[in-house]
Amino acid sequence: MLTAPTLAQIESTVHGRIRALLAERVGEFVRLSGSEKLSATLGLSSLDLAFLVAELEAELGVDPFAKLVSITSVRSVGDLVRAYQQAFFPELQRREDDAIAAAVKRAQTRRARRESR
Amino acid sequence: MPRAGRVALVSGGSRGLGAELVSGFLERQYWVATLSRTKTPFITNMLRAGKRRNFHWSAVDGRDHEALRAFVKKVGERLGRIDVLVNNAGIATEGILPIMRTRDIVEAIDVNLTAALVLAQACSRFMLRQGSGCIVNVSSVHAIRGHAGVGVYSATKAALDGLTRSLARELGPRQIRVNSVAPGYFDSDMVSDMPEEQKQRIARRTPLGRFASIDEIANAVHFLTSDQASFITGHILVVDGGITC
Repeated sequence: MLTAPTLAQIESTVHGRIRALLAERVGEFVRLSGSEKLSATLGLSSLDLAFLVAELEAELGVDPFAKLVSITSVRSVGDLVRAYQQAFFPELQRREDDAIAAAVKRAQTRRARRESR
Repeated sequence: MPRAGRVALVSGGSRGLGAELVSGFLERQYWVATLSRTKTPFITNMLRAGKRRNFHWSAVDGRDHEALRAFVKKVGERLGRIDVLVNNAGIATEGILPIMRTRDIVEAIDVNLTAALVLAQACSRFMLRQGSGCIVNVSSVHAIRGHAGVGVYSATKAALDGLTRSLARELGPRQIRVNSVAPGYFDSDMVSDMPEEQKQRIARRTPLGRFASIDEIANAVHFLTSDQASFITGHILVVDGGITC
């Protein structure tokens, strides 16, 4: 891909690859919402996941698991989509980090208030 | 390079067993890609203008993991597939462990083991997509029997055999076969400096009474990569004239 795809295009590509893989198994295309667990819900093995990563690298030209993201952190279809979106748009990761940092700070503030009462 | 028929990638194909394997794959009508640190007369001859359109060589240092990955990617994308990987590149690190330099240990692990892991990882991506492939790791009888003075070399080769067995299980469901060839002593650069007396002692201890020729080792690799070995995976094929039996 010469130009960076949009977030929606990345999601569509990832979903398309997963659906094609599942279609080989069950003989029909399934609908994906993003919340499905790759292993528990869809029955994909780690080798299936490796196959998907290889296919997506060929199609999108990136492998987020080479350095950016740990493959063990990917549990759901949505996690996989986000990993590829972050590979093209690193600011998404920064926003997520900022959101986590803000949540931690809020929790610490609440705890401090409780303890001071 | 145009899209190819069957494609073999051989590491360390500039001399010795690697060069023999390159020639053998070309004879078998493969497209062959190989890498080595330096260009040898063998490579120069193979690259001679127009002689071999189905031969590709790049200068790559096995310690440079990114360069290894880039080489595989280039070969896979240009030729459209990778059918065979032979992890042949290796260095013979000799000396007893207590007085060996740390950098020599690290270099042996880097070239003999880590490079093989990186190449297997990168090539398996293409093989997974194809739903077929074959990896052969060139191990050694030193992975099977202990010998003084080759502890580090033995460790790297035994690790390759461990990789062979685990990877065979991991990739088998996608019809990718993984095997090792464990050569005994054969005529190569690695034994060229060996004293004649030691060579004769080894030959006497070998049931077949001699060193192997280089093509006898290469033949084992070609067998494992052929369709005749289509149900063989996770196997360590010892080619040693019986010295370890």
